[in-house]
Amino acid sequence: MFENLIEPSVLDALIKFGINVGIILLKIVVVLGITLLHVAYATYFERKVIGHMQVRLGPMRVGPHGLLQPIADGVKLFFKEDIIPAKADKPVFYLSPVIFMAAAMVSLSFIPFTGNFVIADVNLGLLFLFAMSGLGVYGIFMSGWSSNSKYSFIGGLRSTSQVISYEIAMGLSLVGVMMMAGSLNLSDIVKAQENSPFGIFAIPQIVGFVVFVIAAVAETNRTPFDLPEAESELVAGYFTEYSGFRFALFFLGEYIGMFIMSSICAVCFLGGWTMPWYIMKIPFLSYVPGIFWFLLKVYAFIFFYYWIRATVPRYRYDQLMAIGWKILIPVALANILITGLIKILL
Amino acid sequence: MTIKELVKKITFIEILKGMALTFSRMLSKAVTIQYPKERRDIAPGYRGLHALAKHPTIGQAKCVGCGLCAAICPSQCIKIVREKGKVEKYEIEVLRCIYCAFCVEACPYGAIVLTENYEYSDYSREALYMTKDKLLSNWDKYMAGKKGEEYFKRFWRPMSEDFETPPTQASFRGRRDAS
Repeated sequence: MFENLIEPSVLDALIKFGINVGIILLKIVVVLGITLLHVAYATYFERKVIGHMQVRLGPMRVGPHGLLQPIADGVKLFFKEDIIPAKADKPVFYLSPVIFMAAAMVSLSFIPFTGNFVIADVNLGLLFLFAMSGLGVYGIFMSGWSSNSKYSFIGGLRSTSQVISYEIAMGLSLVGVMMMAGSLNLSDIVKAQENSPFGIFAIPQIVGFVVFVIAAVAETNRTPFDLPEAESELVAGYFTEYSGFRFALFFLGEYIGMFIMSSICAVCFLGGWTMPWYIMKIPFLSYVPGIFWFLLKVYAFIFFYYWIRATVPRYRYDQLMAIGWKILIPVALANILITGLIKILL
Repeated sequence: MTIKELVKKITFIEILKGMALTFSRMLSKAVTIQYPKERRDIAPGYRGLHALAKHPTIGQAKCVGCGLCAAICPSQCIKIVREKGKVEKYEIEVLRCIYCAFCVEACPYGAIVLTENYEYSDYSREALYMTKDKLLSNWDKYMAGKKGEEYFKRFWRPMSEDFETPPTQASFRGRRDAS
């Protein structure tokens, strides 16, 4: 049919290209679907965990043990009236939740779920993740600016300065991992951990790990660093004026951001889809698929987020900045220095 | 800063202690009572919705309309109308009541009680304006049989078991010299 128009070799290449695109699209659909479901049930998980930590029950009414609560919430959000403030900067107001959400969504494509399931196996994957989390701040700041409300504006400003400060600490805490793995490719980092004597980088890079955990909580604007959305001072912070579907986008973005941070932690410090050799010595564990280990680590870290939220009160803003600049960054720098020295000397 | 304080800061010992506490609380049983499905046990002598006591043998209201309850009521929510030796109206505006049970204490005949019913919310004020008929039916609903007798024996202050009302429906006519 096409023989007259295209040479057979070109046609073959085109078909191969088409198949590749189809596979990538399929992967994207799978990841997106699972992530959206994950976000819905992450809210349920959070409410249950925090409820039980406060000796309450959490959601119990919709479905058995409140299992359908996230779906009810989602339906409610989609059918709510979409209110736009009269004095809002409308184009920016429309755009900012999309930026926030898209930046979070794009990050998903770099995460290696198992050894052979990653949408984009980029050599600079780690750097790309930083870039995307930095881009998400634009969504927050623009939403705070365009809402034309003092609460939103203060929330947006706080979020911007907080995320920028903690991004430095987070990036520096991961430099140690990059040096040990010798690569920025996330799959290579996991493989380097598998071959390292400790099995996971969290043990030799314990300082970097602690700095990363603190910075990750601050980076996603979660308690105790949730000053951008401090309820007692700022109503809801940068998304005060948003409602309905646009609010849902911010919500999705925040929970996907948590998922991304947990994934980075699992991949860079906890060994991703592999387990250390000394744990794999236990019989039958080698039959467990890698995705299970990956999700186990991710959800353990997400549980840690909730646990922290149920325990620690919010910091004051100057304390937050002092922790970021005066403690975390020097500690992370010292960690890099020591890691480098050990790498040269050994 | 002493070395002890420094070690405390570096190891996050205080935050870890707090996290251990929240974790142990997570494993403990929640105190929530799932209200419509489960209910809290009502303490004996609970002061809920009002009822007018009925005479155990005759089945008529014990109330003679003396008006002591209306006199003592701090929120003045009891309204009594006597006509021709009968208690014509005995009405309680439940929305104004503060459930102090002074009326129960003041009554010399043991004619008014507070039942254990606390689920009587409604959509209109009229539904919560208790007329004599409603108050009497409350007695049948919540205090019928042994429960009503027990109530007087256990929760009447000052303690007394002699609440003899005249066998026929009587009414207090006020002081004779006053009329």
